[in-house]
Amino acid sequence: MDLLLWTLAVPLITAAIGTIGGLRRLNDLILVAGLAITFALSLATAGQFLRGDVPAAFGDALRVDGLSALVLVLCAFVGVLSAAYGVGYLRRNESRGLVTWRMRREFYGLIPAYVFAMLLVATSNNLGILWIAVELTTLASVFLVTFHDRDTSLEAAWKFLVLGSLGLGFALLGTVLLFASGPSQLGEGMQALHWTRFIQVAPELHPFTLRLGVVFALIGYGTKAGLAPMHTWKPDAYREAPSPAGMLMGVGMVNAALYCILRIHLISKASLGPEFSGSLLLTLGLLSVLIATPFILVQWDLKRLLAYSSIEHVGIMAVGVGIGVEAGAFGALLHMTYHSLAKPVAFASAGTLAQLHSSSDFKRIGNGTFSRAPIASLLLVLAALMITGSPPFGMFFSEMTILKAGFASAHAKATSVFLAALVVLFCGFAFQIGRLVLGPSRDPSDRRVPFPERFDVGMATAIVAAIVAAVSAFYLPGPLMSLIRSATHVVWGGV
Amino acid sequence: MTNELLILCAAGMLVTAYLMVGQKALFTAIRLYGVQSLLLAIVGVTIAVADSRLELLVTAGLTVALKTILIPWFLMRVIDRIGIHREIEPFLNVPASLLVCVGLTVVGYRVSTGFPVAARGASHHLIGVALSMLLIGLFLMVTRKKAITQILALLTVENAVFLVAVGVTPGMPLIVELGISFDVILAVLILGVLVHRIVDRFESMDVSRLSKLKG
Repeated sequence: MDLLLWTLAVPLITAAIGTIGGLRRLNDLILVAGLAITFALSLATAGQFLRGDVPAAFGDALRVDGLSALVLVLCAFVGVLSAAYGVGYLRRNESRGLVTWRMRREFYGLIPAYVFAMLLVATSNNLGILWIAVELTTLASVFLVTFHDRDTSLEAAWKFLVLGSLGLGFALLGTVLLFASGPSQLGEGMQALHWTRFIQVAPELHPFTLRLGVVFALIGYGTKAGLAPMHTWKPDAYREAPSPAGMLMGVGMVNAALYCILRIHLISKASLGPEFSGSLLLTLGLLSVLIATPFILVQWDLKRLLAYSSIEHVGIMAVGVGIGVEAGAFGALLHMTYHSLAKPVAFASAGTLAQLHSSSDFKRIGNGTFSRAPIASLLLVLAALMITGSPPFGMFFSEMTILKAGFASAHAKATSVFLAALVVLFCGFAFQIGRLVLGPSRDPSDRRVPFPERFDVGMATAIVAAIVAAVSAFYLPGPLMSLIRSATHVVWGGV
Repeated sequence: MTNELLILCAAGMLVTAYLMVGQKALFTAIRLYGVQSLLLAIVGVTIAVADSRLELLVTAGLTVALKTILIPWFLMRVIDRIGIHREIEPFLNVPASLLVCVGLTVVGYRVSTGFPVAARGASHHLIGVALSMLLIGLFLMVTRKKAITQILALLTVENAVFLVAVGVTPGMPLIVELGISFDVILAVLILGVLVHRIVDRFESMDVSRLSKLKG
């Protein structure tokens, strides 16, 4: 079988074995090993691409170009981190008797299934398959949101599924309209919905139908990415989902949804010119950054804080693509890479803190976590520095690239608003994390930690992820850099 | 003849959407959804016969099996189990809602004039109806409180999308269509499970009570 097909098959097999259940240690091992192999296979697939090959399957319905390869590698990377951290997370909950047999089976089945759906998104070249894969990510993650089975998790899951399905309804209408914009040019059968086919015949498509389709598809996939104003499900879902799942939603899903948005944007660009979908992306992106700002300043919950940060970062990437300059697109993809490296650290450390205090509410965690859980607190501070774009970490460079490109482009005014929002966001995030970690501790009488911090596999994963993310600021491996460059080539050049 | 039949069915679909807005009994609303899906299937069969596109018959068959039989049956079973049969007073009362829907229909038809003039005069109507149904579905979703009504609104939006798909395109690839149907069924099943859990927990399926998470 093909390398590409194996990359997709391994997480699916892992999910199937996980659902059966069985010995705990064996399940742990299979989950981590399965997703580690997936990551290795995705690297091999990307390597195949870099050697000049174009891995494809099912008559080009799945096809790996530069953009696909980058998203594939990043999603698989988050998958393995989530699995390793998840094993530790689950074990900690288990030692307190919080985990039932059903929950364990759900966890071992749904995490790899979710990863599978994301990888399918990243490799699909067919707009129909793309839609189906995105719907699969939604369905795989609903029961991860209800995992803890609280009142609030039902609320979050309901919002998540209803808004997600509505968004996907829009995306489906968008896909149908894109198809309707040139049925005679696109031809028949499976090929008619191939993205590559759309790019080939782009100039001959009917402009009005295409425009309507692009708007619907961008709104639809924008809902999944969490672009404002369709972001309202995100804070709830992130708060309720267990942190390993939150990691997948906050990094993997963001990348996958952005992949869909970029594909639609490219069709629109090839047919209608860069202005139409570009300005739409710029508006939505700017709106996301602006909406995230006040909510970060007044936030009352650690995991919701991360959700708003994720809305902000999707916004930054959308702005990067939307300003319509090659450097902006490069900055956006660089940002995606650094975000995928740094955000898991934030989810892992915040998840650990929330778990140690049995709540992610700032009030119930209490200030001054440093004295109670020094390692998780340090990691959280490091992660906060990285994701707010402080130098010398990677996102500083990617944000600077986008800003520089923005000021040089025709959208200098929008860029200055964007810059102002970024500065406020930085201060807000630093304030929240600083207060939580270093603020005056609670009453001395109340100082004991509910559950002391212990070194385990989850902690080890978080530390390794933090080291990788910190080192990446100074040294990005050559092949990864060439992946980003070829992805930029796709986003800028079209093929 | 074909054109008249198509326009009649499309108009019927729009009427069911209006009736759904004016309806408070949940059973009736579900039956209306079933009728709407049946009309969608008839549109599919008509086009399949007129243009001899046989693969559309498969789509129509799927629509009947899933959307007029399986999904309504499943939703009715959910309602029976939880024993809640009526929608409570919506956020906006019925006459006002219907007026808003008339406005939405005008908007839908206005947008549909931008499409290219196709060979069939009916496709203009199909798009107009589909866009109106889409907007009405969205409207239902934001103004109603019962979880089941929200699912029905979602399904109405989905029917609208399929009306565009059969009416304006030469048919999506069959495998894509099968995948989409499968996903929709799965989504409805999961939504049904969630409704169950919500009713167990809150002793109501009033989604306006799901409002603890803010900020």
